[in-house]
Amino acid sequence: MSRTGPEETFQPVAGVLAFLVPGMGHVWLGETKRGILIGAGILGLFLGGLLIGGIDVVDRRSDKWWFFLQAGNGPVAFVTEAVNARMTASSVNNTPREVVAIGRVREAGILYGALSGMLNLLVIIDAAWHTPRGSGSGRRMADEDLL
Amino acid sequence: MLAYTPFLDPLDLHTAWWLTLVPLALGISVVYKAVRVKDFKGYWGQVVMMTVQIILGIIAISAGLFLLTEVFIPLVES
Repeated sequence: MSRTGPEETFQPVAGVLAFLVPGMGHVWLGETKRGILIGAGILGLFLGGLLIGGIDVVDRRSDKWWFFLQAGNGPVAFVTEAVNARMTASSVNNTPREVVAIGRVREAGILYGALSGMLNLLVIIDAAWHTPRGSGSGRRMADEDLL
Repeated sequence: MLAYTPFLDPLDLHTAWWLTLVPLALGISVVYKAVRVKDFKGYWGQVVMMTVQIILGIIAISAGLFLLTEVFIPLVES
């Protein structure tokens, strides 16, 4: 039995773009709707975690292993962590940090970012080793077919 | 009282933290189904279905763990 569908191709640029901005890899591959839904879902989860637990849920020093998972969200996680570290550092000299999440609320906030990071790793793999799906998808594949 | 700043300060959800499961399950389903579906016909229906499955699955797991820790283990110990 032979495969008749489109074949998987290695798309390193799409993989890098997917890491830099969640969903951008699929947009670059011509699957705009898929990319927008992925980006909205991943950034929505990440920002949802910040909304629930506050910025302190992304903390490389106190939650190192969770941050490994959150790092899958790309630069947005690193920027958030840097802002949190800066706020924490400035609070030592000036006024104390207003409120820091504790208990279940903190756990939920951390979990949102960690799960969105792991989902983005799935998305990066899907964009980098890509098989076009559905009608009207796969601009890059279509361009290659024309050559 | 200090002012609340969204995204910097946590929400006061200590008595209703379990409600955060619903948007979490929805977000996971939106991304997972966006990666998996071949075309987007019936996409939102599949998202809702997966969200409900995740929530029911977690409720079932928590009920099972409740029975294990609060009923079966005390029975064995007594």
